[in-house]
Amino acid sequence: MNIELETRIKDTVRRFILSSIAITKLDDDDNLFESGIVNSLFAVQLMTYIEKTFSIEVGMDDLDIENFKSLNATTAFVLKKNGQRNG
Amino acid sequence: MGDLQTIWPAEASAFTSRSSSMRHGLTDLQRARQEVFKSFVALNVEPFARQWDREQRIPESVISLMAKSGYLGCSLPPHYGGRGWDIVTFGLLNEAFGRGSSALTGVLTVQAMVSMALLKWGTKEQKVKWLPPLARGEMIGAIALTEPDVGSDLQSLTTSLTPEGNHFILNGSKKWISCAQIATVFLVFGKLGKGSVACLVPRDSPGVRIEPIDDLMGFRAGGLAEVTFNHVEVPLADLVGKAGFALSHVAPVGLHYGRISTACSALGLLRGCLEESIAYAAARKIGDKTVGEMGMIRSLIARMGTDLEAGSLLCHNACRAEDDHHPEVFEKTFMAKYFTSRAAERAASDAVQIRGDSGCHGSSPVSRYYRDAKIMEIIEGTTQIHEEILGKMLVNRAGRLGR
Repeated sequence: MNIELETRIKDTVRRFILSSIAITKLDDDDNLFESGIVNSLFAVQLMTYIEKTFSIEVGMDDLDIENFKSLNATTAFVLKKNGQRNG
Repeated sequence: MGDLQTIWPAEASAFTSRSSSMRHGLTDLQRARQEVFKSFVALNVEPFARQWDREQRIPESVISLMAKSGYLGCSLPPHYGGRGWDIVTFGLLNEAFGRGSSALTGVLTVQAMVSMALLKWGTKEQKVKWLPPLARGEMIGAIALTEPDVGSDLQSLTTSLTPEGNHFILNGSKKWISCAQIATVFLVFGKLGKGSVACLVPRDSPGVRIEPIDDLMGFRAGGLAEVTFNHVEVPLADLVGKAGFALSHVAPVGLHYGRISTACSALGLLRGCLEESIAYAAARKIGDKTVGEMGMIRSLIARMGTDLEAGSLLCHNACRAEDDHHPEVFEKTFMAKYFTSRAAERAASDAVQIRGDSGCHGSSPVSRYYRDAKIMEIIEGTTQIHEEILGKMLVNRAGRLGR
């Protein structure tokens, strides 16, 4: 696995989340949705950001809270969608 | 680093494409289409809008004309029967129609809300089945979200789906549903246990009852109705998106396009107010002066004109952000709808004021604009909900920056 790539994805998503919602720190495994600070509008914003930034499309089959619940989960999802998880 | 470049193709261009669009304005094709839209509305909408308002209905003939022109599926991809027009063009279409009839523009609004939510979250089979007839206007969609006792607080929906064999049973009541009188399919939102769920329900399904709502203040031809679902069978294949994601993902996409449409429609209404006011002010005389020579009238018209310019920039900026798939598109769309609906309401009030007695009579379009404009502040999220959401977005960002 390309560790540098994984780190960059994670940091990019982290910057977007921290610049959008009222938290000051976000660890890799913090659960975004259990924290109660993420509303439905932000969930769609995050999805749009991921689609735009990484040129992927989130479709009906990807609607799974496990894909977006944390930075680690989102990073794994982006890598999977790009077919690079095991590349 | 080749991997990084492969996975980040959009990042570098995310902002340059936006600024480039702003600098160059509309393309020649967008301008050409805008002229076609204006001609369509001048010929087929404006002369009849008062009659539709009075009769509280829109004839099938004009909807059929819109369908033939491709307007009802204009932003859907061609392979689903749509025109594949960009959202800037969709905005121009809604602005042109908003100038003629807010109620008729509502058909464009809800058709886009249903179609685009389905395009985003539908299965391949659902898209193939439902999108082509929606794109061709053979099918008219409506969003069944609001309930008699549930508006802004969507988490409190009481409409329910219950599993039964290989299908679901839908029970519940929806109210204030735009275009429900003419819709042939509803995108219905309800609860499945504690989670939310969305499903497609054809109008002719057994157990669906539609009761028209008349005597509205504005959007009188908007075909609103109360829709009751009494033990309606919904096949598993007609659920849109996964259970649990209807309110968090499916509804926001539909509502987002509803906001774009309403923002641009309000902009068209605002333009109508300005044009009517200018024409009246130039012609109407009080003594030896025209109304337009009076400073107090000029003040009202100056505000209308400035609001129109500002609203136009906000709307086009939001539409471009959608075309660019920019993450800030939601914020920009909230701002556009918030601004233009309030500006349209102010402009309509001032347009009536400028005309005086004649502005209070149905023979002047400004009386209809005034009634319709108030509705703009309520549909697709009230002004106050917009303030709450936008305020929270901006404060959160400022808090994060430590300022």
